[in-house]
Amino acid sequence: MSRYLSKSLLLLLFSVVICCVLYPLVLWVTGQTLFNFQANGSILLGPDGKPVGSRLIAQPFTKDEYFQPRPSAASYDASASASSSLAASNYALRDRVARSLGPIIKYRSGPKTGQPVSPDIESWFKKDMYQGSPHIVAQWADQHNSLAQAWVTSDPTHAAYVDDWAKARPDLVKKWIKENPGTPQPKAADLAVVFFKNFSEKNPGKFLSAVTHKGADGKDQATLQPVNEGSDIQSTFCLMWREEHPDVDLENVPGDMVMSSASGLDPHITFQNAEYQLDRVASKWATNLKRNPDDVRKEIGQILRDNASAPWGGLAGEKFVNVLEVNLALRKRYGAP
Amino acid sequence: MFIQTWFLPFLLLATATVIAFPLSRYMAWIMDGKYRPLPVFRWFEEHLDSGPQNWKQYTCSLLIFNTILFIFGFLILALQPWMPLNPDSKTMLAPSTIFNSVVSFMTNTNLQHYAGDQHLTNFSQIFFCIANMFLSAAIGLCALTAIIRAFRSSSTLGNFFVDMWRVLVYMFVPAAFIIGLIFITQGSPMTFQTSHSLSTLEPAAMGTTDTGEAKQQTIVVGPVAALESIKMLGTNGGGFYGMNSAHPFENPTGLSNFFNALSMMLFPFALVLMYGRMLRKFRHSLVIFSVMLVLMTGTIIWAVYFDTLKPNPTLTSHPVAKTYAIASAVAPGGKTVVSTPAVAGLPVDQHLGNLEGKEMRFGVSAGATFAALTTDVTCGAVNAESDSLNPIAALSPMVGMWLNCVFGGKGVGMVNMLLYLIIGIFVAGMMVGRTPEYLGKKIEAREVKLAIIALLVHPFMILMPTGLFAATDWGLKAVSNPGAHGFSQILYQFSSASANNGSAFDGLGVTYGFWNAANPAPEAIAWDIAAGLVMLFSRFLPIIAPIAMAAYLGAKKSSPFGLGTLRDDSVTFGFLLLGTIVIIGALLFLPVAALGPVAEHLGPIPFGG
Repeated sequence: MSRYLSKSLLLLLFSVVICCVLYPLVLWVTGQTLFNFQANGSILLGPDGKPVGSRLIAQPFTKDEYFQPRPSAASYDASASASSSLAASNYALRDRVARSLGPIIKYRSGPKTGQPVSPDIESWFKKDMYQGSPHIVAQWADQHNSLAQAWVTSDPTHAAYVDDWAKARPDLVKKWIKENPGTPQPKAADLAVVFFKNFSEKNPGKFLSAVTHKGADGKDQATLQPVNEGSDIQSTFCLMWREEHPDVDLENVPGDMVMSSASGLDPHITFQNAEYQLDRVASKWATNLKRNPDDVRKEIGQILRDNASAPWGGLAGEKFVNVLEVNLALRKRYGAP
Repeated sequence: MFIQTWFLPFLLLATATVIAFPLSRYMAWIMDGKYRPLPVFRWFEEHLDSGPQNWKQYTCSLLIFNTILFIFGFLILALQPWMPLNPDSKTMLAPSTIFNSVVSFMTNTNLQHYAGDQHLTNFSQIFFCIANMFLSAAIGLCALTAIIRAFRSSSTLGNFFVDMWRVLVYMFVPAAFIIGLIFITQGSPMTFQTSHSLSTLEPAAMGTTDTGEAKQQTIVVGPVAALESIKMLGTNGGGFYGMNSAHPFENPTGLSNFFNALSMMLFPFALVLMYGRMLRKFRHSLVIFSVMLVLMTGTIIWAVYFDTLKPNPTLTSHPVAKTYAIASAVAPGGKTVVSTPAVAGLPVDQHLGNLEGKEMRFGVSAGATFAALTTDVTCGAVNAESDSLNPIAALSPMVGMWLNCVFGGKGVGMVNMLLYLIIGIFVAGMMVGRTPEYLGKKIEAREVKLAIIALLVHPFMILMPTGLFAATDWGLKAVSNPGAHGFSQILYQFSSASANNGSAFDGLGVTYGFWNAANPAPEAIAWDIAAGLVMLFSRFLPIIAPIAMAAYLGAKKSSPFGLGTLRDDSVTFGFLLLGTIVIIGALLFLPVAALGPVAEHLGPIPFGG
């Protein structure tokens, strides 16, 4: 037995030396000498010669002048990769996709072909009727408690707003405690549903959104105010609008534009997705540079084609482009946006 | 689209099959000791050799070595804060997580209740992960070799320590180096640095820090290529990064994805043929190989058909309101009626299938293919989020883990197949009223008992804890998706632990993190311990019992081949084996399949909300 013990220790020693010291070292030396760029993370340099990102790691872009990457469940944090882990049966997935659709979807046929749907979502929202009953926001919170609660917890200012409301309406809070004896001291998130019901009755056709204005010290500051238009309404209530208008013919959005990637760091978008964004990107640069939109569109289209590739040369999948490389090419060609 | 969908899976199957023939010849040559080692290697072998061993001594050595490995792994992780290569002062994981991870890597499972990019230093990645990846894979392969030698009626089973040396040095290290080099060329980092911090092209988009400056992006790098190649070759599956082979550094291109998938198939495919070569029953092993290939092709087609060729059902329209009658003990008439409203379709182009949790660079069917492959060969690496697979597509990886013999992990998959085979022959023998025989040896009560014990450990270790966790807060507080999918998350975790697979439905809250974590998942400790125990039992019982069984069988007198002998190299035998696997598998697991993925598929989508 002790013989096996000593042989085990010897085996462990040999294998640690070979597998954990020699093997990584040889691979490291080979990688660093022959494939220095890849072995260090494929870091790309920006226009000023400083590292600007890895060509393999997605980074966020919000400006209209840039192509935008796929949604990221990791917030593009390359030190904590993550997927959404949302099941197909999970309502939260449907809701998340609808939110990103709201501001961008367009009509495919009918008198408004090609026009955005978002103004119609806003005017529908102002009427404040959903499936024959008044108060959209109240019904939203009532049917989807978790979404209402998520709104409260998503931002400290939201929670503070609900807390202030709770102080002003002790009668409603008391009533809530009576109905939920298990929670004698409700937090802001617990009160989300009753808060939105009360809000909706007092502010028909309105929702809370951060509005930026000049503060007393002359600086911009954002406060929550009841509003009846804006991107929050377009995104949050797109799904309810759609449930009431199931047959309206809408233009399809490329799937990878609204479906998040597995790592949260997918550096690519499909070529189809890039072409979908091309109009927005080209017209924005054309305005910035005061040039003919068609020419700019052609130039950027060429950049996309130059950067396109496909898995196994197209045998295993469709064309895609690397977002950072394309945006770097735009930056180098047209300057800072 | 047809070619784009099926090109990758069938190229993989074909390539792995072709390579299996020469590779199995090489492996049999090595394991039979027919090579002449270089003098320097001979010195090592002589020092490791403790002489010929019988089955008890061989098993004993295997268990002693695993104990040493457990202590070594525990020390490395527990001492992480004081070890080198730790520039950002990572501290120690929670003790329960260390226990879980050490068991997980020692048993070739690589279920990860931590995220490598957040919780491990490069030192731990190399001396804990890489060491275990080489060694645990080699242990499984040695177990199979011992069984083969026992079947051959050899008086000794060889020597465990020499076998380990052979597998490590003559098979794994050279293969890992070649594959690692391929990964580097594709873009996997190979450095001892830990991270790059940089300002992105549009710095404001990254958000702002508390002081109002634009956040930097921190890109974690490290010795990824070295870990990645043995992770796949050893069917380990424990990623350097949290998101495993979906992470662009672990799997940078379509080509690297091909090699990722191929390298996890290479040894499991070749092992089956090695079995035949070493027993001089090559045709017999070809029959087993074909049965496995049929099952694997089936799971791939199932996953790809329902995930790549079907849209994600949460975005499609369900124009008719549905009502469901659900059995209820309290409702009048024994049933409650639940109705779900009609659902409108969302304007999303889904011609590429379900893209939630998929990466673009691998190819259209790559995620579904990989999910099926990784569970068949019990690797556990994933290149897409399994949690977000279409509900019924997720049945494919689960079936792979439940059967646990479709090529399977290093050695143990083939061992599991032998159990099905013994039971199949036994049942067939009973049906025709003859004493069942395998390799000319009579199968009697003792062998069948051992086979049944080894086979039943697996369903027991999946179903019991799943039931326990689904009924208590341990499970209910950990699931992140509602309804049947929540049940699937629990079921998947224990299936993965018991099959020594290591993939997971990642939404499940099982991560405690560092020991001083501020907000650990509430039930993480229960999960760490339960999954750890499941992995231990499901690893070692199905190794020890079959070695004993093979030794008993091998010691018997061979009976001559006669007219009434069941031929083990015929197509009929293949169907017998296939039937045994499918029937036993279905009997054991159909009920939970109905509660999990099938219920989710047939039930209302979206569910709740």
